[in-house]
Amino acid sequence: MNARRILQSEHVVGWAFAFPAVLLIVVFGIVPIVWSALMSFQRTNLLSTPEWIGLDNYRALSKDPLFKTSAIHAVIYAALFVPLSVGGGLFAAIALNRRVVGIRFYRIAVFVPVVASTIATAIMFLWLFDPYFGLANWALEKVGLGPFGFFTSPNGALYSIVVMTVWGWIGFNAIIYLAALQGVPQELLEAASIDGAKSWSIFRNVTLPLLGPATLFLVVFTSINAIQLFDEVYFLTGGGPGTATYVPVFYLFQLAFQQGIAGYAAAIAYVLLIVIMILTAIQLWVGKRMVYYAS
Amino acid sequence: MSEQTIEEVTGEALLEPLPDDVDPGQGRTVFSAWHLVLLPLALVMVIPLVWMVVTSFETLNETRQFPPVLVPGSIRWQNYRDVLEQAPFARWFLNTLFVTVAVVIGNLVFCSLAGYAFARLKFFGRDVVFLLVLATLMIPFQVIMIPTFLIVRQLGLIDTLGALIVPNLAGAFGIFLLRQFFRTLPIELEEAARIDGASRLGILFKIVLPLSGPALATLAVITFMWTWNDFLWPLVTIYSSNNMTLQLGLTTFQGAHQSNTHLLMAATMMSMLPLLLLFFVAQRWFIRGIATTGLKG
Amino acid sequence: MGQVVFEHVNKVFPGGTVAIDDLSLEVPDGQFMILVGPSGCGKTTALRCVAGLEKPTSGTIRVGDRVVNDVTPRDRDIAMVFQNYALYPHMTVYKNLAFGLRQRKTDKAEIDRRVASVSTMLGLDDLLKRRPAQLSGGQRQRVAMGRALVREPSAFLLDEPLSNLDAKLRVQMRAELKRLHTRLGITTVYVTHDQVEAMTLGDRIAVMSSGKLQQLGPPQELYDEPTNLFVAGFIGSPPMNLIRGRADGGRVTAGDLTFERSEVADGDVAVGIRPETVVQQSDGLPSFEFLVDVVEPLGDEVVVHGSTAGTTVETGAEEEELPTMLEGSRAPITARFDPGVRFHPGDRLRLGVRPDRLHLFDLRTGAAIR
Repeated sequence: MNARRILQSEHVVGWAFAFPAVLLIVVFGIVPIVWSALMSFQRTNLLSTPEWIGLDNYRALSKDPLFKTSAIHAVIYAALFVPLSVGGGLFAAIALNRRVVGIRFYRIAVFVPVVASTIATAIMFLWLFDPYFGLANWALEKVGLGPFGFFTSPNGALYSIVVMTVWGWIGFNAIIYLAALQGVPQELLEAASIDGAKSWSIFRNVTLPLLGPATLFLVVFTSINAIQLFDEVYFLTGGGPGTATYVPVFYLFQLAFQQGIAGYAAAIAYVLLIVIMILTAIQLWVGKRMVYYAS
Repeated sequence: MSEQTIEEVTGEALLEPLPDDVDPGQGRTVFSAWHLVLLPLALVMVIPLVWMVVTSFETLNETRQFPPVLVPGSIRWQNYRDVLEQAPFARWFLNTLFVTVAVVIGNLVFCSLAGYAFARLKFFGRDVVFLLVLATLMIPFQVIMIPTFLIVRQLGLIDTLGALIVPNLAGAFGIFLLRQFFRTLPIELEEAARIDGASRLGILFKIVLPLSGPALATLAVITFMWTWNDFLWPLVTIYSSNNMTLQLGLTTFQGAHQSNTHLLMAATMMSMLPLLLLFFVAQRWFIRGIATTGLKG
Repeated sequence: MGQVVFEHVNKVFPGGTVAIDDLSLEVPDGQFMILVGPSGCGKTTALRCVAGLEKPTSGTIRVGDRVVNDVTPRDRDIAMVFQNYALYPHMTVYKNLAFGLRQRKTDKAEIDRRVASVSTMLGLDDLLKRRPAQLSGGQRQRVAMGRALVREPSAFLLDEPLSNLDAKLRVQMRAELKRLHTRLGITTVYVTHDQVEAMTLGDRIAVMSSGKLQQLGPPQELYDEPTNLFVAGFIGSPPMNLIRGRADGGRVTAGDLTFERSEVADGDVAVGIRPETVVQQSDGLPSFEFLVDVVEPLGDEVVVHGSTAGTTVETGAEEEELPTMLEGSRAPITARFDPGVRFHPGDRLRLGVRPDRLHLFDLRTGAAIR
């Protein structure tokens, strides 16, 4: 067994190839995951030595009114954002799945917002929703509504964020649905038509069920995104007005990087993680029951 | 959706017109009722962007009017120049470009190597390690944010571009994407090369990668977009104005120039330009990348 | 009642491709009609026109007594079996079968009755609760047929339904189909590219090529009396041998072969010889020299490939051009003999053929000369 043979063995080569990426992922992925878990059982301000306090953080969480508020907002936000953006994506995909003059331009128009960053989108909507000079209030006034405070309104801020983020995500969802729609074999639609189904019936009985996997994925994916809402809140409202738009990740950020209460923040992060894992588990379970890929 | 479907559905397919419904149409309809749906939809999606561009050409006075000025008096390119003067915008732009390009290259290189290893090579612990890598895909960033910050601080990279580059040089997404893709290539090509005497590295570079154009392009484009648009991590690690990326810089710009809407719009427009250009040039890779995300789920 | 009629149907696709060229064809009620031809000949397009999935550019299509050009597929009272079966993957076999009836608001008792009857007829009783993904290819095929039959349509359309089955299953299903048709008597239009399938299944066969109807008739008629070179080359396996020749004053010469055929106009011709019509002894018969190349003993017969002097003729029915390894200018000849003959590669002999069994075609038009 000479050195050359060892060096050329598949084990060594394999490890050599995988090593840089795996190292990066371990150092900046696996280690933080574990560390974060440990941190959630500590009291630490990221500067001095941490102190072990067992489950105190989690106990405090369950009684924390600010956390409750943020959790409720996350739920409200998700309850609106998910159906609107997924349903909107489906609607857009159906409309875009036509052979109509100019369809390329329509599709590009719907897809472009995907490219805009959260901050850029926030800035655009900050201006659009400006209470005094914004285009939105101008248009609403024309139909006899408003003016609205949008991001400055205690009652309306969260919903304004919903509208803005739905706008930002419809294109993404539409792409996924469009790909799924194209995956429905033409023959199935033809067979259904010959069998006597009308357009709506074909959609409901053939197309929609076959979109099941895509729908499931999108619901879970957008739910996970909804729970992680941060950028827009930080930039537009700072959690306000008051605590009207307070969300878990914003709370987490404040605790860790502005107030130096990192252990508690880590506990919040882990609670979020558990919620996400439950959602993902649901996806896998429902997915197994829905195995009807067009073959 | 089968894996094969996604490979066939390149972004280009999603951009091309599709065959009609079942009822045989009269060919291309010039006016279809669907326009009544598509036009408002497209307008709604496009208006915020268009409005931003229009405003970026207005004067301050024009922005302070209600009803809003829909057509500016003239096209004020001056606004864009003002942004560059009043903020280290050019610096932010270069920082973002540097970081993004570095991360894209890093991902392309490291994820290719690792992806190939996981796809074709048998090495001790391969499957366990791959599962671990996959696991990190499921973990939201907020969970690892704090410890990653601490690690980066240990490395002395806080408030440098290194903080933005190093942790992101290789991602699980890229490894997964490329591994799946490599596995769809016919293994006979690589076996023939081995018989011909090529080394593993040679096979990767001379045979596998040249055939992986679509997957590499997709990874590059998606990574570019994510990195360019990233906000939270720069927020956490960068403090000095000179080291900021565009997204972070925009927020400080907005803080300093709250009522200078016209400048803010110009700044935002400039920050979006590269991505918009990339999107128009490489549409199909963007779309393919997004459609593939759906497959991964 | 359930007849299907094409009247001067044309179909041109955007872009200019002529898929169907002036097709006029009548399928009387209850008949099993086969549309056969190479890929691209228009047979599938013609079928889809009957189904309503394509619209003819001009011409009329009738199902039953009425013109259906502007009638939607669902209202034409036809049922179709697709090449890939097109079963609804998310529905059980039962639901697949019942789907069409549910769409037409048939009442539950009637649905159950019909589904049960078809299911028993096709042997699907044990599979009713399964999903398509859990079925074998043959089972799926039967479900596809069941779905069509359950609607008791006026006309039954099949698009290469057996082509995805393995050879053995295909033979079985062919017999099944024939039995079903005899039993149910529904007007059937069946599309295939396989001329063997066409010959074994159809009451009448319509051979198509390049969008045009080449010949219409019962299988034996197509075999014995092809109206043109295409049909001659398409029907029959191994295909008819063809040699280029010349008719001059009632005498036809093709390569080494010479024979009399009065009333034939002078001109260039193609002489067709079916492989099984050649004999070894040639006393008194027109004959030609034959150089043996490959001998294939098949058990019940011996197929011999070889060549003779002369040039072959292309019929348009060839699948692909296989480069032949013949030397010089020679026409390939395939012959079939009873078992017991002793040939070896390289043998030179003379083969005879009865002049009344020779086929003659005008070389310029391709039409048969009787």
